[in-house]
Amino acid sequence: MDWLILPVDCLVMPIKILLFYVIFYGCLAGIFIGTIQVMLLTVSEFEPKYQDRVAPPGLTQVPQVQKTEISFVVTDSKSYETYVSNLEKFLKDYSADQQTENIIFQDCGDIPAEYKDRGPYNDVQGQKKVCKFKREWLENCSGINDPTFGYRDGKPCILVKLNRILGFKPKAPVNESLPPEVMAKYNPYLIPVHCSPKREEDADKIGTVEYYGMGGFPGFALQYYPYYGKLLQPRYLQPLVAVQFTNLTYDVEVRVECKAYGQNIQYSDKDRFQGRFDIKFDIKSS
Amino acid sequence: MVGGFSILLWIGAAFSWISFGIQFAQGAESPFDNLYLGVVLALVVILTGIFAYYQEAKSTNIMASFSKMIPQQALVIRDAEKKELPADQLVVGDIVEIKGGDRIPADIRLIFTQGCKVDNSSLTGESEPQSRSCDFTHENPLETRNIAFYSTTCVEGTATGIVINTGDRTIIGRIASLASGVGNGKTPIAIEIEHFVYLVAGVAISIGVLFFIISVSMRYKILDSIIFLIGIIVANVPEGLLATVTVSLSLTAKRMAKKNCLVKNLEAVETLGSTSIICSDKTGTLTQNRMTVAHLWFDDQIYSADTSEDQTTQPFDQSSQTWTALSKIVTLCNRAEFRPGQENLPVMKRVVVGDASETALLKFAEVVLGDVMDIRARNKKVAEIPFNSTNKFQLSIHETDDRNDKRFLLVMKGAPERILERCSTIMINGKEEPLDSEKAEAFQTAYMELGGMGERVLGFCHLYLPENEFPDTYPFDTDSMNFPTSNLCFVGLLSMIDPPRSTVPDAVSKCRSAGIKVIMVTGDHPITAKAIAKSVGIISATSETVEDMAKRLNVPVERVDRRQATAAVVNGMELKDMSLQQLDEVLCNHSEIVFARTSPQQKLIIVEGCQRQGAVVAVTGDGVNDSPALKKADIGIAMGIAGSDAAKNAADMVLLDDNFASIVTGVEEGRLIFDNLKKTIAYTLTKNIAELCPFLIYIIASIPMPIGTITILFIDLGTDIIPSVALAYEKAESDIMNRRPRNKSKDRLVNEQLAVYSYLHIGIMQSVGAFVTYFTVYAEQGFLPTTLLGVRVNWESNAINDFEDSYGQEWTKYQRTYLQWTGYTAFFVSITIQQVADLIIRKTRRNSIFQQGLFRNKVIWVGIFSQIGIALILTYGLGHVTALNFTPLRFQYWFVAVPFAILIWVYDEVRKLFIRRYPGSWWDKNMYY
Repeated sequence: MDWLILPVDCLVMPIKILLFYVIFYGCLAGIFIGTIQVMLLTVSEFEPKYQDRVAPPGLTQVPQVQKTEISFVVTDSKSYETYVSNLEKFLKDYSADQQTENIIFQDCGDIPAEYKDRGPYNDVQGQKKVCKFKREWLENCSGINDPTFGYRDGKPCILVKLNRILGFKPKAPVNESLPPEVMAKYNPYLIPVHCSPKREEDADKIGTVEYYGMGGFPGFALQYYPYYGKLLQPRYLQPLVAVQFTNLTYDVEVRVECKAYGQNIQYSDKDRFQGRFDIKFDIKSS
Repeated sequence: MVGGFSILLWIGAAFSWISFGIQFAQGAESPFDNLYLGVVLALVVILTGIFAYYQEAKSTNIMASFSKMIPQQALVIRDAEKKELPADQLVVGDIVEIKGGDRIPADIRLIFTQGCKVDNSSLTGESEPQSRSCDFTHENPLETRNIAFYSTTCVEGTATGIVINTGDRTIIGRIASLASGVGNGKTPIAIEIEHFVYLVAGVAISIGVLFFIISVSMRYKILDSIIFLIGIIVANVPEGLLATVTVSLSLTAKRMAKKNCLVKNLEAVETLGSTSIICSDKTGTLTQNRMTVAHLWFDDQIYSADTSEDQTTQPFDQSSQTWTALSKIVTLCNRAEFRPGQENLPVMKRVVVGDASETALLKFAEVVLGDVMDIRARNKKVAEIPFNSTNKFQLSIHETDDRNDKRFLLVMKGAPERILERCSTIMINGKEEPLDSEKAEAFQTAYMELGGMGERVLGFCHLYLPENEFPDTYPFDTDSMNFPTSNLCFVGLLSMIDPPRSTVPDAVSKCRSAGIKVIMVTGDHPITAKAIAKSVGIISATSETVEDMAKRLNVPVERVDRRQATAAVVNGMELKDMSLQQLDEVLCNHSEIVFARTSPQQKLIIVEGCQRQGAVVAVTGDGVNDSPALKKADIGIAMGIAGSDAAKNAADMVLLDDNFASIVTGVEEGRLIFDNLKKTIAYTLTKNIAELCPFLIYIIASIPMPIGTITILFIDLGTDIIPSVALAYEKAESDIMNRRPRNKSKDRLVNEQLAVYSYLHIGIMQSVGAFVTYFTVYAEQGFLPTTLLGVRVNWESNAINDFEDSYGQEWTKYQRTYLQWTGYTAFFVSITIQQVADLIIRKTRRNSIFQQGLFRNKVIWVGIFSQIGIALILTYGLGHVTALNFTPLRFQYWFVAVPFAILIWVYDEVRKLFIRRYPGSWWDKNMYY
């Protein structure tokens, strides 16, 4: 501590102060990094400690550009270019040639089935396998036959997905609670998705809605759950449902609400993307 | 006091509204946040303003109620009827009647008087009552005898007069309004607060502008940059501080009021603490304002009497026969009487009808002999000549209480030399002896000695009238004086003085050790003034005046080196002839100064002289003429009992008990509050950094916002208020009355060290602790620290509802926002927890907390519990109110910052240890605030 009581010199003073702050902030930075490291040690790299803020899952759509709105001119290919490329980019991972490695991918059948539990959430058994999802299931919305996903014809496709939540097992809905349209294609291993007009008066403007999904089921099959996380399933393919609006009224705003149904899928007034979303179509004929 | 910060907050509010306007026009989704923020900021400014106003008004109200306590009534003849009217309803032309003891309700011209005397001391400074008559004697209204002035008192007699001036147009009113013209600078604390506001505002503006530029050059939108600027301003401005300062000052004011110092202007509380010179009155402030017998001379010997306020016996030797004779004269030759009905009161507290000397003698006799009235009744008075200025004696003739002794006793008192002239014998040890030149010499010596002590001396003599010449039926005629008034027997001398209050010498020596110079300014005679100054210690026992030195060295006064004399007694006449430089020289060269025979106007000159020396001057005064000096002084102190309303109005403080010692307590409180305000400000400033850093890091690293603007307001105006007030209750660390008054230009309230230590040491440590909590909350919810960097734009996008975290999970916007609020809450909680540590370390600036005692100031603990209580209510009670941005928080997050709180405490203890260990060192210079 002798340096503390050295005689004060005009030059020594600023140097001492500088030195002091270097040491002081050095120590603080060390303490900060140290405590953060210690904190990280208590956090597993495979699963988050808490999920109360992220669950229940949100329902989102592709394409996603700026706002939840799809607005284009049928005759102008530039006006829907971003939607198309957005869809194309998203579906790239779903192409058949991306799912060839059998060490990662597993064929989970063509019809909805039971959850696929893949053991504990750690890498003792190495990475977990991932269910294949065939792009062809999306039919008209797969982009295989129609690279503009129906936009060219004014019949836009959107993809609906349930937000990934690690370890989350959505439960299929109980029959009675479902709207009749959904009941028609009921399957005990399916989380159905249904889109309907947001407002009553839009009921006649929405036209026909086509759903494409695994084996033709309009929903998410349970064998894709639970999700094991980025580290254990880096190439996880979340199940999709494609929704095509084949007869939308042009030149008018149409609001559509898409909902996923399940016992542990909830809706909230504050979070309008929880278990459902609404999207606005504004298709101009010219 | 509010100035600077309010403007900053108004700017913040204006920015909020502007950005609301822009966002609203653009149709953004949640523009109302900014509208609310603007409203809240405006509310904060308005409420602090109202609060400060209310506090000021409250202390002014004390004053108003104080003057209303004695409503003045006047006896008016209107419509041929006598009426009691409040004095303020008088009009010019009213006829009022006045009797002894009344305060004169307006300026009046007298049309009828009977033995009327008025006490003009509050107006002119003359201490002797002046007689009034109906005669016009002088052109000058102040000199003429037929005018009585508003607010002076009628001492005796009755009078009737016509009102010629009322209210502000009275002579007194004019002087009082003159006083309001005397410039009154800012109080020292106002200057300090202003300096502090500049400092903080400077930091706020420069960081704000700097980061505005940074954010613009980092390609943030201008609108976003403006919103950042608002956040930075809100984080930097200690919104609650001015309210806290006001509360602390008024708490001290309250405490001082309990100790008889009534503070009119809150800021004056601290001014007293910075005082370096006190110009004190003598009468009533230093002294008891009551003539008291101090010495006796009989049997050729001087005896001292007890002059304390609560005397019940007198200790001097009372066995001599001479004393018996003397006490009889004192008792009988006296017209003063106690007002009836005060038998249960101590003698010294009883009210007496009579003049000052007679009162003194009466009380003295009552204390020594017991029931004076009974003695007088037993010695019936048969004739009396009252004192008058031509005779300069008072005489009365009594029967004796000895039934066998049929002689009459003639007793006389008066000016000693006149009494001695009439005597041919002198009583020594009860025996009459001829008054030879040797005994006359002894008398002279004693008279000089008593006179030299500044005391008023009276001589006493008596004569038993021979029975044969003066039988029971003898008709005494006081006009023709058919009885002997010479060849009497001299008995003794009594000397009286207005003695110092017993608490004053101690108070003066306290002032001296506190580095405060006490100057006595009085209208009294220099000898009396000097005697009192010596007895209270204003002139210490060892120091000499120039005159004393000349006397000791036996050289003429001119040849003495003036610089060697520490004391000086300056006569008003001398002062009149002095130039300003000469006055400065006197004030500079002598540490112990008494100004005697000064007029109240000269007081102003003296005050200005002291202020030229750079001193903070406190002035005491009671008269109307003192009011300009009271106003001019840095702190004017008026006397609550003797003081005139004009003096009380001009003063910043009122001494309810007129006691000098109360000023010293005031000084102590003032110094304490200055120290404690330092602590409060240091405490308040610290967390500003912990509130500011989130914004800076948010802008630079683009992490999700760690703390919201509303949350900051909840810290500044919620959790932190009571703790910072609690610091005002902190006891002094060392004897604050043993150090010099602070140097106005050097010892700032907020100095560089305080700002640096609060901002760059503790503040940064707090930020680190709060950030650790923030990162912990996010990491445990799925966002590891590395994931958070640079996410701001996507994080805040409303369109992205599948935002990916470190585990590949996807979050909707609302889920993220809710997590962000949890982050706010966690950040808030950690700042609160660390502010507890900050509060504890701020208890002392130099001493260890353990020296100061952790539990001595209970209010601190009230502060700590309130802080944690408010935080609990906000997180768990109001956690579901969306607009407040609080969410319930997992209990363990309350403890993440605890190690950092402990670190802060330990660090500060180390700092204090080094300061104590190595005084004057580099560390001491940079780390002591």
